[in-house]
Parts: sequence; structure tokens; C-alpha cells
Amino acid sequence: MIERYLEALDLELVDVGIPSRLRRRILAESEDHLRSDDGALERFGTPAEVANAFAAELGARTSRGAAIGVFGALGVAGAVYAVSFIGASFAGHAPPDTWSVLALLAFVAVILAPQVSFVAGSLALVRVLRRREAVLPSSELRVINRRTGIALVFGILTMVALGVLAIELRSESAGWWVELTLVGAAIATPLLVLAALPAAVAARLKPRVAGEPGDLFDDLGFRTEPWRFATLVAVSLGLVVFLVAAAQGDPFDGAVNGMAEAIACLAGFAALGRYLGLRR
Amino acid sequence: MKGHVDLLLLSTLRAGPLHGYGVVEKLRGSSEGAFDLAEGTVYPALYRLEAAGLLSSSWTKAAGRRRRVYELTKRGRSELAKEKDQWKVFAHAMEAVVT
Repeated sequence: MIERYLEALDLELVDVGIPSRLRRRILAESEDHLRSDDGALERFGTPAEVANAFAAELGARTSRGAAIGVFGALGVAGAVYAVSFIGASFAGHAPPDTWSVLALLAFVAVILAPQVSFVAGSLALVRVLRRREAVLPSSELRVINRRTGIALVFGILTMVALGVLAIELRSESAGWWVELTLVGAAIATPLLVLAALPAAVAARLKPRVAGEPGDLFDDLGFRTEPWRFATLVAVSLGLVVFLVAAAQGDPFDGAVNGMAEAIACLAGFAALGRYLGLRR
Repeated sequence: MKGHVDLLLLSTLRAGPLHGYGVVEKLRGSSEGAFDLAEGTVYPALYRLEAAGLLSSSWTKAAGRRRRVYELTKRGRSELAKEKDQWKVFAHAMEAVVT
């Protein structure tokens, strides 16, 4: 009976995504418990119930740790990005006459990816700081893990694109800027990959805990119509881009870039809004 | 009971180290059977308290079987004292209202 129970428990633990090392410990402790008295098996709970309790506890903890770890790694990537970005204005390089397709793609990624990464990572952090319970609804964990995953993927994409851009523009750029950017990206990328490990464990855990996930407004602490809010944010961002460019004496470029920023922001909200739990 | 599992487990381990089965037995005995929960679900809470640094655990051998024994850490003791104080305030307030 006990052997059969442990086999069933093992299957359930696999099913909810408990890592193998922890699974071995759970099985060993469960076996010791079950052999302690004749009635223990009856009182222990069903394999599904026990496995789910482990996944629920571990899920909240792992998702929280992964979100914080990824945000920390993104902090390093953000510093690399900022130094490279600021350094570019001192590097004295002129834009190339013709851009290769790779350089163009890398340039677009370097502009868009860090924004997605920063927003997703910040929202994941806000959510885990707001929800500190030992057990969270499965749907809530899914939102946190998606935010963390998107932050991570776009963070890595940013660093790779930055490296590609530095290589592609090496003949037009100061050597120190190319080296600085490549070294920075080479430091930040492994950190992001390292932060992906707990995020992968968190994503594999599948507890079954009832409850609704919150949306963006639960995170922000006020409530309004989602699209109206997204439009307001997009217009504000576009305006900031325009004003910065205008202050630098380039209002036309500022207007074009500002409009592109606002459209990208709305497109991001449309594409990822539901996936990241920004709107229901 | 759900919101007080941590306090119950930390209190159970106050007197000394115990393995999971021992924790459950003591909990049931001290509460005169009132806290009769699915025993397997106590372990996730023990793991969580260990991850939080409030408990430590190690393998021992007993009756030819490997057995994981839990004990309070220094941090666990101070957390227990804190939670006990909070509980006393809460229980006192409840009693004043209910009785």
C-alpha cells in the first residue's frame, strides 16, 4: 500500500513540476512518515492533495524569487545599456550611409526591447511585492511568471542586439565604445541567463489553486478604463520624446519619433496586454 | 487555522527538534485532536519555514529509516516570540468582544 502511494505521489509531484532533487526528499520524508504508524496513510492526504500543497507553496516562493532575481539582473543590463547609450553620444560616430539589415534589426530591437523588458520586469516586481502570501492562485502565478519571462527574453534580446549593433557599427564608431558595449553586454547576458534558471523552475510548477489574477490597476492602486489609460500613457511618452527632441533643436524628428513611440506603446498593450495581465 | 499554521509549527518545535511525524503528533496531542489536518500538507509549510530561515533540518537515522529532523533557528525563536505576542493581543481582543 505504502509503495503504491509513494509511486502515485511521485507521479503527482512530477505532474505539478516539482524538481527532482526536492521530489526525492519529499518521497523519503513521506515514506518515513507513512511507516511511522498504521493509520498514517489514511491521514496523510491524497497524493494529488499533497503534491498540490507542495507546488502551491513552492510556486509562490519560486515565482517571487525569480521575479526579484530577474529584476536584479535587468538592473545590471540597464546600467550597461545606459552607459553604452550615453557613451555613444561621446563616441563621435556618424550614422552609416547605408545600414545592413542586421544593423537595422538590431537598432530597432535596441530601441523597443528594453522598454518592453523594463515594463514587464517592473510589473512582475510590483506584483510580487504586493502579493506576499505563502500561497497564491495559479492564475496569479501565471501572470507573474509571464511578466518575468517577457522581461527576461526582451532583456537578453536587448543585450544581444546591443552587441550586434556595436559589431555592425564598429567601422563608424570609436573603438572604446565598441569595446565598452561588447564587454558590458558580455557581462550582463550571462547574468540574465543565470536569472532564467529559477524563472524556468517557477514556470514549470503547476499548482491548482483557485482565485482570480489581478490586473494592472490592482498593481497601480486605482481603476480606470484600460484602453483609456494605455492611450494616456502612450500620448504622454510620445510627448516626452517630442519635447526632448525639440529642446535639442530637432522638433520634426521628435514629432516622428514621438508618434512612433506612442504607436509602439499602444501596439505593445494590444499584443501583450492580456498575456501580461494588464487587462482582463 | 490556515492563517496560524506558522505559529503552530514554530510553537510545536519550541521544546526541541522533531521530525515531521513528531510535529504532527505533538500538534494533535497539544490541541487534544482539534488540529487534525491532512498530515502530508504539513511538510510544505515546514519546507517554507526552512527556506525562510526560521527552521533548519538535517537527516538522521532512526529504526533503520532515514528521517529528517527540524529545529528552530535563532531567527525562528525570535519570530516565534514576535508571533506569540501578536497572537496574545489578538486573542485578548477576541475574548473581550466575544465573551
